[in-house]
Amino acid sequence: MTRRHLGYGWITLVAAGLGLAIVSGPLPGLSADAAGAAQAPTPGIFTAAQATAGRDAYQTRCASCHLADLGGSNEAAPLAGSAFMNAWGARSSRELYDYIRTGMPPGGPPLGENEYLSITAFILQTNGARAGTSPLAATTAVPIGSVATGATPARAQASTPAAPAGPPGAAGPAPARGLYAEGEVPRFTPVTDQMLRTPPAGDWLMARRNYQAWSHSPLDEITTRNVGSLRLAWAWNMNEGGSNQPMPLVHDGVVYLTNTMNEVQALDGATGELIWANQVGPNRVVAPGSMRNLAIFNDKIYLATTDAHLVALDARTGRKVWDTTIADAAKGFSLASGPIVVKGKLIQGLQSCTRYQAERCFISAYDAETGALVWKFHTVAHNGEPGGDSWNNLPNTMRKGGETWIVGSYDPDVDLTFWGIAQAKPWMPVSRGTRAFDAAQHTSSTVALNPDTGALAWRFQHLPGETLDLDEVFERVVVDAGSEKALFTIGKSGILWKLDRRTGALLDFAETLFQNVYSDIDRKTGRVTYRADILEQKLDQWIPSCPSTEGGHNWQAMSYHPGTQSLVIPLSQSCMEIAARKMEQVPGQGGTSAARRFFEMPGSDGNIGKLAAYDVRTLKELWSVEQRAPYLTAALTTGGGLVFIGDLDRYFRAYDVTTGKVLWQTRLGTSVQGFPVSFTAGGKQYIAVTTGLGGGSPRVVPRTIAPEIRHPQTGHALYVFEVGDR
Amino acid sequence: MQLSILVVSLALAAVQAAPGPMRARLAPVPIDLSMQEAIAGLGAATATLAGTSLAVEGTYKGLKSPATAVRVYDSPKPGIRGTLVGEFPSGGGTSGAFKGSVTLTREQAAAYGKGLLYVQVHSEKAPDGNLWGWLTAPRGQR
Repeated sequence: MTRRHLGYGWITLVAAGLGLAIVSGPLPGLSADAAGAAQAPTPGIFTAAQATAGRDAYQTRCASCHLADLGGSNEAAPLAGSAFMNAWGARSSRELYDYIRTGMPPGGPPLGENEYLSITAFILQTNGARAGTSPLAATTAVPIGSVATGATPARAQASTPAAPAGPPGAAGPAPARGLYAEGEVPRFTPVTDQMLRTPPAGDWLMARRNYQAWSHSPLDEITTRNVGSLRLAWAWNMNEGGSNQPMPLVHDGVVYLTNTMNEVQALDGATGELIWANQVGPNRVVAPGSMRNLAIFNDKIYLATTDAHLVALDARTGRKVWDTTIADAAKGFSLASGPIVVKGKLIQGLQSCTRYQAERCFISAYDAETGALVWKFHTVAHNGEPGGDSWNNLPNTMRKGGETWIVGSYDPDVDLTFWGIAQAKPWMPVSRGTRAFDAAQHTSSTVALNPDTGALAWRFQHLPGETLDLDEVFERVVVDAGSEKALFTIGKSGILWKLDRRTGALLDFAETLFQNVYSDIDRKTGRVTYRADILEQKLDQWIPSCPSTEGGHNWQAMSYHPGTQSLVIPLSQSCMEIAARKMEQVPGQGGTSAARRFFEMPGSDGNIGKLAAYDVRTLKELWSVEQRAPYLTAALTTGGGLVFIGDLDRYFRAYDVTTGKVLWQTRLGTSVQGFPVSFTAGGKQYIAVTTGLGGGSPRVVPRTIAPEIRHPQTGHALYVFEVGDR
Repeated sequence: MQLSILVVSLALAAVQAAPGPMRARLAPVPIDLSMQEAIAGLGAATATLAGTSLAVEGTYKGLKSPATAVRVYDSPKPGIRGTLVGEFPSGGGTSGAFKGSVTLTREQAAAYGKGLLYVQVHSEKAPDGNLWGWLTAPRGQR
């Protein structure tokens, strides 16, 4: 239950783990035969000094996503072993160098040419290529399969250090700062169960503000008539590095802000004055590095860390109260969203469940007072379990995916918590060893769970056997639509689903943008029929798909506006071609195993961003606006009749919720990314939004197809706006 | 007399059935980040069908290498690569204009009316395609 010591202790732990790897032989996933194979015959195309420099650069700049052992995580591909060779063996060293140079690190400041070259050399060395006397140059073009085998030489393993503890670019390890700014929240009032059920108008007490996940504030001081005078009240710079996609909490005028590098800060909502700050750590980017939401209950703030811990802090002082391990980060697990608090329990998802190993993905609940585990619900069905026969008889250890990287919602009336479950991994059936008609339960589903026990009440699988990384993991929104007890969700496919939240029965659906993936969607059941060539996919075959993995819809949550009974949904219009790569089903390997190429969506006129409002009763589109830049924040609707949303091109705008007309806009320091919120402090309404960098497809796709949209590569910050005189 | 009426009626029907001018925004074909150095640019094309002849003209700019050809393809659905209908030379250069025509079969003409034909500009560094875009009716007429 107690968190292991961070900082240098963590380094020791990882170093010890690597030492074990040295003794025990090849990297996970490499056969003994492969590891013992002779060195590749082609003369070395890089120098040992380059590879050594590349090792250091890699561990500083790349390991946070691709992991210290080059094993990969989520969209960060494995860079060692058979998975790497399957993807790159037939391509040239120059292509690898160009790929790294032009795309890495995603969303971050570029490296120097020598760093890119040395990192390329290190990757080649790690895959069995030997050093020579000539340095690798930008023009060196040798087939990777002719110099590398995928077998990691023992020497390379021995020289692989632990990932540094500092932020990218930092020299040497830096321990977590802990409670580095002390202070106390004045007049703190504990948050009760009743307050979570009926949040005070000026508070923002949980992800998307209420249990129903409306992302709506009832505050109405800022209206369609006075929003034109909205102006900056204060701003607060945040930690750089990693993906910044946070949603602040607000209670009694105090803003609780999650930063990258696993840090929480308490700020006075009226002035921006820091009250306390605690960097729980680790003080480095782990996985994508984003932590989207905190939770609050009673007198504690709850932080889920990117290395898969759940930590309780005293909301008054920021002091750590308890620390629970959710899953083993050394096995690739991580967290990207925090918990929801239901009846004294923290219900928490899990991310990065791609590696072939015994452990699988789950949703779990913990006692909010102590951190003790209460229940687990496994999101991937094993043999002998319900749905266990839907994986083509794959061994249990090869059934991967099923992440829950967006926090669920809750309906107190039916006493069920609703969660979206991500797709199976690898992304495409031909890679993961399933057939087109293998549903791979419970992936790409909505599940309704009893919050007290974790027992499954119902399940609706949106995309059985999902095959194109068209995730259905996002927000589940609880709305009474006329007489219907509805639950809404929308995924990357762009299909807006309306379910009966009591039973999971399909009530209706609507297609919100162009798609060419499904030849049919059954109106009664919602069952999709894939295009024939998708069903007949082969390895390395480029399969077209509209939308792309950007979505459709992604983590930028929709908002329900009760006044107009409409859902306001951020959407994106892009397409892709995706090709499955071969994946060796051996322990320790695993990943998404596909390559992607992106392009503009036909008929979109190059407008990637789309914001649209839908009537919850009829699912008819009420209005929509389109623009070149994709929206990168959730939508926030307010009692003042407004929609707030930000985009890649640094604009933060207010729209009229009834028409979609722009009423106000400003331009911030870098791309506007996160979850805008509204709150009161000192009796006054504020609008807050973050700027941020980093992320998966919502960042990679526009960077590829809309490179003319440029923004600073730093600038994580919180901006707070007000109307009227100060 | 009756024959004349029939001919006129058929001609009118043909005129009414013929889809109007279509437009395409030309943007890069499917790429990843590493392909941006060879494949970039933007353009626009308009097409007009007269009988079986599809006249296509347009402009492009920002290519990374000189344009070589313009091709028209017939796709099963927008966003999916299709079969070649015909081609004509481009104006060359990394920016410029093109004008040409291709002959359509009856099926291809029907596909044109359904927005399934696309225009693809090729270049020296991107011989398999640099810019592409589906020919669709202008917004408001779709």
